Amino acid sequence: MIEEIKARLPGDGLIEVPFPQKGYHYALETGADKLPDLAALFDEKRFYLECLLCTDYGEYLELVYFFNKHLAPSRVKVTLKLDPAHPVAPSISAVYGSASWYEREIHEFYGVLFSGHPNMAYLFLHSGIDHYPLRKDRVPVPPEDLARLDSFNPCEQEDSFFINLGPQHPSTHGVLRVVLKMDGEYIEQAEPVLGYLHRMHEKMAENRTYQQFLPNTGRMDYLGAMSFNLGHVLAVERLCSIPVPERAQSVRIIATELNRISSHLLWLGAYLADLGALTPFLYVFDDREQILDVLEGVTGSRLTYCYFRFGGLYNDVDDPFIEGTKAFVKRMWSRFSLYEKLVTGNVIFRNRTRGIGTITQEQARKFGVAGPVLRSAGIASDMRKEEPYSGYDALDFTVPVGGRGDALDTYVVRLTEMENSLRIIEQALARLPGGPYMAEKVPKKLKPPPGDLYHVVETPRGELGIYIVSDESDRPLRMKWRVPSFSNLMVFPELSRGTLLADAVAILGSLDLVIPEIDR
Amino acid sequence: MPAMVNALLEWASSDAGKMIAGLVGVLAFVVVNALLLTWAERKIAGHMQRRIGPKEVGPFGLIQPIADALKLLGKEILTPARADKPLYYLAPTLIFVPVLVSFIVIPFDATLQVTDINVGILVILAFSSISILSILMAGWGSENKYSLIGAIRSIAQNIAYEIPLLLSLLPVIMLANSFSLKEIVEKQEGLWFVVVQPVAFVIYFIAAVAETNRTPFDLPEAESELVAGYHTEYSGMRFALFFLAEYTNMFIVSAIATTFFLGGYQGPVLPGILWFLLKSYALVFVIIWLRWTYPRVRFDQLLNVAWKGLIPLAFLNLLVTGGLLKL
Amino acid sequence: MIQGFVKGTASLIAGLGVTIRAFFQPVVTSQYPREVLTISPRFRGHTKLVADPEDPGKNRCTACGICVKGCPSGSIKSVEGEKREGEKRKTATVYLLDYTTCSQCGICVEVCPFDALAFSRDFHSAGYRREDFHYDLVKELKR
Repeated sequence: MIEEIKARLPGDGLIEVPFPQKGYHYALETGADKLPDLAALFDEKRFYLECLLCTDYGEYLELVYFFNKHLAPSRVKVTLKLDPAHPVAPSISAVYGSASWYEREIHEFYGVLFSGHPNMAYLFLHSGIDHYPLRKDRVPVPPEDLARLDSFNPCEQEDSFFINLGPQHPSTHGVLRVVLKMDGEYIEQAEPVLGYLHRMHEKMAENRTYQQFLPNTGRMDYLGAMSFNLGHVLAVERLCSIPVPERAQSVRIIATELNRISSHLLWLGAYLADLGALTPFLYVFDDREQILDVLEGVTGSRLTYCYFRFGGLYNDVDDPFIEGTKAFVKRMWSRFSLYEKLVTGNVIFRNRTRGIGTITQEQARKFGVAGPVLRSAGIASDMRKEEPYSGYDALDFTVPVGGRGDALDTYVVRLTEMENSLRIIEQALARLPGGPYMAEKVPKKLKPPPGDLYHVVETPRGELGIYIVSDESDRPLRMKWRVPSFSNLMVFPELSRGTLLADAVAILGSLDLVIPEIDR
Repeated sequence: MPAMVNALLEWASSDAGKMIAGLVGVLAFVVVNALLLTWAERKIAGHMQRRIGPKEVGPFGLIQPIADALKLLGKEILTPARADKPLYYLAPTLIFVPVLVSFIVIPFDATLQVTDINVGILVILAFSSISILSILMAGWGSENKYSLIGAIRSIAQNIAYEIPLLLSLLPVIMLANSFSLKEIVEKQEGLWFVVVQPVAFVIYFIAAVAETNRTPFDLPEAESELVAGYHTEYSGMRFALFFLAEYTNMFIVSAIATTFFLGGYQGPVLPGILWFLLKSYALVFVIIWLRWTYPRVRFDQLLNVAWKGLIPLAFLNLLVTGGLLKL
Repeated sequence: MIQGFVKGTASLIAGLGVTIRAFFQPVVTSQYPREVLTISPRFRGHTKLVADPEDPGKNRCTACGICVKGCPSGSIKSVEGEKREGEKRKTATVYLLDYTTCSQCGICVEVCPFDALAFSRDFHSAGYRREDFHYDLVKELKR
């Protein structure tokens, strides 16, 4: 398949790249005129657009596209150099739906104009910002671009009216506002408005050393903070080639899986609270309390962990942790029957979620959907299996898949993932090796070699991609976080067209969004 | 002085006097019942969720409803600027009319009934339609999209579920051969009607839960979707009135269920009113239990359940009952 | 259809069974503040200066400033020290921490070459003004 692509690209070289150092398999440099054809070619070969980002190198801006294929990982990095004085690039949002929001983001942060893009309004920023924030120099926004950015204005039309779902939301998604154009009870169009929680983590990453950025990782996705922590730490360790002792790897697995269970449990409680059943929320918090107590005993925090360090852990685990984890695992196995009786079998719940928000595999591919939502559509893609890290390849677990891609399938997939996580924890506890918890020679001032790296971990919400560009200083030149909720939210306008308002809430809940990680 | 007291007592034992005394008693009961039910709901919900409900204010949190009432009285009463003033102001007061009227005909005991109208149940059913009117007034008068959607949903729901409500009460009326509530209770001396008409009881109960807008049928006030539905724009005491009306309605539908199916005030040993209250509050407990167990039914599914499920079943039940009675 | 109806009703009754059983089970909440909770020893409250085992009023900080540079949020405002008689290194006299911007990441505790900082277990932080959380850790140690 890669050979076919190589054959179809006359002249351009598809360079093979060492995967362990770079995180992607092939690199390709292209020009603005060839980009749409290239995107069409990748679409034809059933690749999905993993990430689209821009880096400011001073003399030029570089657009980086990552294309990957589900279940047959072959990550291709496509780069496009742009002139910083007049950055224009063709839009590929007609081919890949996910490119639409990425291009909007790059436009408002870097000033790159994507020709052919239907809607270049503000995504994260708001009016009043007069320069492009992520550029290294202060580049003011020209007035015609300001007009373009400020162009979102829902207004009254005949027979339909606009309703805001949020931003103050009784359901605990975060601060998300969705502007719904309604026709009676049915939704004609849904437009998410983001940016209420935008804190410029990516700019902060450029101004802090790699170690100083660690607390930020937990704040991006506060429910799966361990996995974000893990992603950052693994990416930098890979960049600097720091070996991690076995004990640290096992503990990392246990902590991350505990966090995954706690995140899924919270999702369960919040989803049912969305649907009107307020009791499972409390039962879920009862279970989570055990996890949080165990993790507090070892890390000291309950929600936003900052536990992993480059080369190992902040401190070693002790016996209370191991005993507490074993007790939790034993108790959790017995709790599944409670959820089965109260929720899964309940006919009202099944009628609310069966057939709602069905994602086809094609939609999942076009929008780069990740995580349990992707798995419920039938694609058994899990980054812990495809690109194993931190010792996951030695463990034995399955990847749950759903049949139809509706909300009930995402629910069942997440429940099964919780069971799998329990099995992973049992295996990791059984083979917890002794030894040091921290690598020996970790330089105090980390100065990674120059180059870039794309590292992927599996968070509770899906595939998290971290792209680091290092210029040999102790601060990254560019750090891009490709978060799963961002691409999951992109499918929502498609899924909710023509549904009832109650269904839109059910669909939004089934996508398991955490808005702080979308807004970063 | 004694002459005045004598005159008062004589007037009090007359019909008019008994009616006035009954009304005052009913009003007092409504208030006490609402306070008790708010406390009971929070306590029951708490224990079902493995936590204690209110506990700080008074022993076992018993003073909590009074604290809530004082808080609501002290709130700033906001009126939306563009609200339709007559509708907006009238809605909370109007919602109490069917409730109070229903209390007039319910037999608490053999002798404790404000007045026994011989078409008692028709009075109750007729006046319960007025509550729908007041919901519409609240939703429309608030000039708020969410209130309007909530009101529309509520009206469709209430209209749809009134029919199985009525249809499930009809077999009992046929069995008892009278519309008067007292006679229906009297006819249940040896055998409660729930044994003879279990299907009607279940249909009535489901329709009653839907009529009072309780979960799983609480779409009009779906908190996670529409903020608070038709009473979004009401604050302070006006909001309290809506709430009070809902809890009183809960008690009334349970009282009617008790009267029609569970033998009313009939029962051995204990005085009749105690049995009546016991049975009614047991049904209220079940209504609260349902709320804290189930998620919400979606709007079209709700109407489907009513039109395609309950109404045909109720008709079938009516037909079978009528046929058996004739034979 | 009948089978669906029966299964549906059975599921509804099963759900009721779960909640009624929970109704009679003991509560799992603890009534804070009437009951005092035990805090785990590794809990991350605000940082504190570690007292010297022999002399409780003395701290190990030498005002080198590594923690000031290492803090990502700039919460450690300033550390001043003076060289006392007969000692090789400086001793800290003023250690200003602005706890309102601290994210309890632990970088300062980790990078300190003298292990002079540790996490306290103070979770009763409540005050009326922001200045209530501008700590001077040297003074806190002396208390």
